[in-house]
Amino acid sequence: MKLTTMAWRNLWRRKRRTAITAFSIAFGVLLAVTFTGSGDYVYTNMINTGAQMGLGHISVEPNGYNQTPGLDKRIHQTTALRQQLIMMPGVSDAIVRIMGQAMFASARKSVGGAFIAVDPAQESSVNNLFIRSIIAGSRFTDSNGQGIVIGSRMAQKLGVTIGKKLVYTTTDVNGEIVSEIARVSAIFQTGVTEVDGAMALLPLDRVRGTLRYQADDATLVAITIKDHRATDAMTAGIAAQVALPEREVLSWRQTQPDLAGLIAMDRSSNYVTQTLIGLLIAAGILNTLLMSVLERTREFGVMMAIGMSPHTLFRLVITESLWLAIIGLVFGIVITAPWYHYLNTIGIDFSGAMGDDYSAGGVLIDPVMKVYLYRESVIAILAGVFGLTLVAGIYPAWRAGRIPPVASLKTL
Amino acid sequence: MDTHTHIVRLERVSKIYHQGKIAVHAVDNLDLEIDVGDFCTLCGPSGSGKTTVLNMIGGLDVPTSGHIYLEDRKLATLNRSQLSRLRRDRIGFVFQAYNLIPVMTAYENAEFVLRLQGQPETQCRERVMAILKEVGLEGLEHRRPDEMSGGQQQRVAIARAIVTNPAVVLADEPTANVDSVTAGALLDLMQKLNEENNITFLFSTHDQRVMDRARRLIRLRDGKIEYDDVRSLPG
Repeated sequence: MKLTTMAWRNLWRRKRRTAITAFSIAFGVLLAVTFTGSGDYVYTNMINTGAQMGLGHISVEPNGYNQTPGLDKRIHQTTALRQQLIMMPGVSDAIVRIMGQAMFASARKSVGGAFIAVDPAQESSVNNLFIRSIIAGSRFTDSNGQGIVIGSRMAQKLGVTIGKKLVYTTTDVNGEIVSEIARVSAIFQTGVTEVDGAMALLPLDRVRGTLRYQADDATLVAITIKDHRATDAMTAGIAAQVALPEREVLSWRQTQPDLAGLIAMDRSSNYVTQTLIGLLIAAGILNTLLMSVLERTREFGVMMAIGMSPHTLFRLVITESLWLAIIGLVFGIVITAPWYHYLNTIGIDFSGAMGDDYSAGGVLIDPVMKVYLYRESVIAILAGVFGLTLVAGIYPAWRAGRIPPVASLKTL
Repeated sequence: MDTHTHIVRLERVSKIYHQGKIAVHAVDNLDLEIDVGDFCTLCGPSGSGKTTVLNMIGGLDVPTSGHIYLEDRKLATLNRSQLSRLRRDRIGFVFQAYNLIPVMTAYENAEFVLRLQGQPETQCRERVMAILKEVGLEGLEHRRPDEMSGGQQQRVAIARAIVTNPAVVLADEPTANVDSVTAGALLDLMQKLNEENNITFLFSTHDQRVMDRARRLIRLRDGKIEYDDVRSLPG
């Protein structure tokens, strides 16, 4: 009889105990999928949303702009740069933008804020969160026109509606104060209070003129990529191709350190939680296997007496834990699949508990908790649960191999 | 001393157990030789040391002093793995409580040691079927221990003990848990295996029926040989 067959049969000598242990492994799979899946989904969502709020996953900027932003810093020949970037594998879009600070004033009031000057031809609801979040009016289409898209809270503060005029004041490339009139063409509402109260979109060419930029100048080219997990590798790759002494290539982790910190902290606490759950489950598995070994002391003694080596006995118990892991994983997949499908397609709506501000780290988050697992996460969960079960089997297996035959064979 | 005819040899073997502060001499300076083809019984009252002697010959226990040789191999020089291999290849065990592996059928129990030796399944089959037929279990190959009587289980245990052609079979009270008819049949079987295959049997027993069949009867008392009687049995 093969060791695997023997181990399989041994496992089913105590059907209830094996079933309970397999269920605890399965429950571990379910928890791991829920935690990891929600992490994968939320982090991806936050990173992609953050990228659509101006800076992209990767940005090409003037040297020092990230540390001390100012409209006096700019990069040139952005059209050619954009074309070069778009052709690169893994890049889904490259958008030329000018980002800066401005004072916005209506006839009644003025508020400080920030603007992103955009080329309407390059922007869409896919790569620009503000355009996707328009709740009134329509975005401007003339890059040299007077249109402005503002946040709902800013509109409220300034007391303006669609079609109304306002004036924005900023500093030009030489540090001189410059002003321009704009007319509200659309109002957006992202759900992030500070963004809705202080952010505006302006036409790129118009702003270039106001700031006395050359026709092809901008403060950055924001790059969105197909898979944010490739950010670091792509940042290095892009830097190798397009970096010049006067410009640098930065990843979202560098341009949005608050978001990166928040994700890193949340991910760490997620791992700690999962590790603790894993240890609890491993303790249960250890208990089951150890009990199973201790109650078979005599049987193991017989096996060793008739010639089974301690090493083979060790392998037998490890094989039992291997089977337990497989049963638990299969059971886990069976109970987790419908749960995952529900969370992936429908999710759990927490909007009632979040109030009006759906933001974290300055980035919009989805109030509906959903899950999505990356392939490497699936592999990590399966390998983790499998490995944990095997590790939990090591001590009982070692104990089995150390049982002195004579102690267990009292009647011989 | 000519060791070639001795399959087992004990030289001044002692075994001392400690029960609290009291030292118990289970075996006391014992010299013993078992010859190839012996059908030998260790008897004596409880606590006389016969179980301990069997344990030590089987490499399951180690003497406090003295030396044990099995086929001229000094057991004290072997490590755990070497002892396992020695038991697997050269010793057969028959236990009082059968001690079959409950998740295995009669066939698989008998086959088990051959598989431990690494013999391929197809090669084992012929040998195992022949042994099971020899011990009278033809047709019961697929039964598990809990589906067999005590006598049938002990037959499986004997089949498991002899399937590898061991040098010696160590049998502890092999008839203790079976009725007298079954005991007689089991003894017939072991005697037949001894005579036809020249397998050495060493019993530990209280059973007079076993003692009556033995060609050599060694009586132990307080860890020492009280008498050692080599007999010529009729038939």
